[in-house]
Amino acid sequence: MTTLDVATDTVTQAPVQPGRVLLSGVSKVYGKSYAVQNLDLDVRAGEFISLLGPSGCGKTTTLRMIGGFEYPDEGTISISGAEMGQLPPHKRPVNTVFQAYALFPHMSVAKNVAYGLRYADVPKGAIAGRVGDALAMVRMKHLADRMPAQLSGGQQQRIALARALVKRPSVLLLDEPMSALDRKLREEMQIELKLLQQQLGTTFVFVTHDQEEAMTMSDRIAVMNHGRVEQIGSPAEVYDAPATSYVAGFIGQQNFLTGSVTAAAAGTLTVAVPGATLASSVPAVTPVSVGDAVTVAVRPENVTVTGGSSAATNAIPATLMGVSQLGSYLQVVTMTAEGVKIVARTNRSVDLPTELGVPVTCSWPAEAVRVYVA
Amino acid sequence: MTADVGVAPLRRTGKRRWRWNVGMLALPVGAWLVFFFIVPFGLIAWYSFGDKPSLYQTHSNEILSLDRYFDALDPTFLAIFGRTLNIAVTGTVICLLVAFPIAYWMAVKLPARFQGLVLGLVLVPYWTNFLVRTIGWRITLSPESFLADISRNLGFGTPDWLYTSGAVQLGVVYNYLPLMILPLYVALERLDHRLLEASRDLGASAGESFRRVTVPLSLPGIGAGLLLVFVPLMGDYITPAVLGGASGSMVGQMVASQFQTAQNWALGSAMAIVLMLAIALAVIVFGLIFKVIGALIARSERVTVLDDGVAEGRTA
Repeated sequence: MTTLDVATDTVTQAPVQPGRVLLSGVSKVYGKSYAVQNLDLDVRAGEFISLLGPSGCGKTTTLRMIGGFEYPDEGTISISGAEMGQLPPHKRPVNTVFQAYALFPHMSVAKNVAYGLRYADVPKGAIAGRVGDALAMVRMKHLADRMPAQLSGGQQQRIALARALVKRPSVLLLDEPMSALDRKLREEMQIELKLLQQQLGTTFVFVTHDQEEAMTMSDRIAVMNHGRVEQIGSPAEVYDAPATSYVAGFIGQQNFLTGSVTAAAAGTLTVAVPGATLASSVPAVTPVSVGDAVTVAVRPENVTVTGGSSAATNAIPATLMGVSQLGSYLQVVTMTAEGVKIVARTNRSVDLPTELGVPVTCSWPAEAVRVYVA
Repeated sequence: MTADVGVAPLRRTGKRRWRWNVGMLALPVGAWLVFFFIVPFGLIAWYSFGDKPSLYQTHSNEILSLDRYFDALDPTFLAIFGRTLNIAVTGTVICLLVAFPIAYWMAVKLPARFQGLVLGLVLVPYWTNFLVRTIGWRITLSPESFLADISRNLGFGTPDWLYTSGAVQLGVVYNYLPLMILPLYVALERLDHRLLEASRDLGASAGESFRRVTVPLSLPGIGAGLLLVFVPLMGDYITPAVLGGASGSMVGQMVASQFQTAQNWALGSAMAIVLMLAIALAVIVFGLIFKVIGALIARSERVTVLDDGVAEGRTA
């Protein structure tokens, strides 16, 4: 009896699990267009999930709906098993780190951090201790008496983090918190934030348009486009097996070629593109058949550039256009006779034709070729 | 200290070198201040120590005394001064109470594309001639106005609104309202709405957010508005002259009549000085009240005395 109950429970409704965020069928309409359309998202308790996408993809709107600053037009959001409905922001068990930090300019750092504790069940005598702990956590305790205007961007960001975490929310929402920091500081903060999240075990929902940032910190990434989730998975899954050509192009660099399917044998797809014939040993995500127009994606790191022309399968003749040194690797830019640019990334030790304008061949293995319906 | 020997001191010091060509930039404003503020003020102060020697002379400084000040502070003057203070303080407070919701609505609730239009609607009456606007109220409040018609039709009889303190009160609130709306609008418009979202996010209700974020951050605007309304209102004599009659006169009229009608510039000057000192005193009191309010707000927020924490953090 009891086992049966548990079984049906997990199927029909979310079990009460602090830190779990469940969005089902959520839509938000602005004017006549969907900002978010029929979005399903199950954020596990304690995970670091990134909503990744270009501006206008609905990621910030999604975050604001979880925070209670917008209400969904359709669908439901539940946090830690409780349906949120029209609950205003101050009654939700989440806290937010805002993009521009939104520190109260008329209050010292300590007062900023203490702000929300007045509304939590914290005895007055314990507030100072809690504020001190939160500031120590972000290593900003020595700045407790400063005003926000006296702090650098990185310091303000830490204070915003401390202010949001001091109430010990089960879910922390972060709205592009690092977009105002310079690159070096951002990379340091990414590592620190990830460590902090692991240490606290709090669910982090992180909105960003920076794929590197998402890859660095996330347990899972939800790639969003036009108000929908295109793919959700671990950084490796999203990078190695993009579900759509959009994800393939958004995460990391990608060479795209367009053509049509000429043969679809078991395990191998053959695609004719202008100037070459390509074979793929990776099953297409959406099944394709002979004659379909498709987009073929090949990662630059899988492309090998060799001197001379060759017309073998998975090899395309091209002209060498440029070579740049990018730290540990070389980026080689070539152009096919049809004017398609193909970029390769190779190890610096690789032997390459050095003269620009010479004919070369770009080739790649069949496992590196991914086929998407155009 | 010893390491500094031989090292040239930094050129940048707190003291700035006077450069006559840069200083010249302040000349127009300086001249304006001298000729239209300092000189007239000096003259008024000088006249106030003299007297009116004969029927045909306005003032004389042959004999210097403080007698005009004792003349000025007679019971009539003090009574009217009291009424002026009452109208000015009440008017300033009403202006604040009326202007705050308007400014808040304009700055926060109104879509940005309509803000210019509404700002124009606030400013257009303000740019209209002061006297014309005030006479407009005389027509509206008169027994022949449409409002009086409505009152009669409703059976309340013919109202006697005109030539009362109430009419003056209404007139000054109407005349000075834009001077309160504008600084409040500027303060509230600059207020980052994301701060309110942050406040809500941290658990504060809308009302609490208003009290702890909106009000403290708009205090400079409130202060500017109070000054901009209170100071000219204390010296106003057009509004009471048009709407006040005998029962609604203000101290500005008394000063004006000493100069224009009674031709007693010495007494008028003494009254003007008394009025200015009173305004200065009131502004100081206002300022002190503001300081106290600010201190009370800071006190109510002072939850976190990180005595131990701060010390620990500093030594680390």
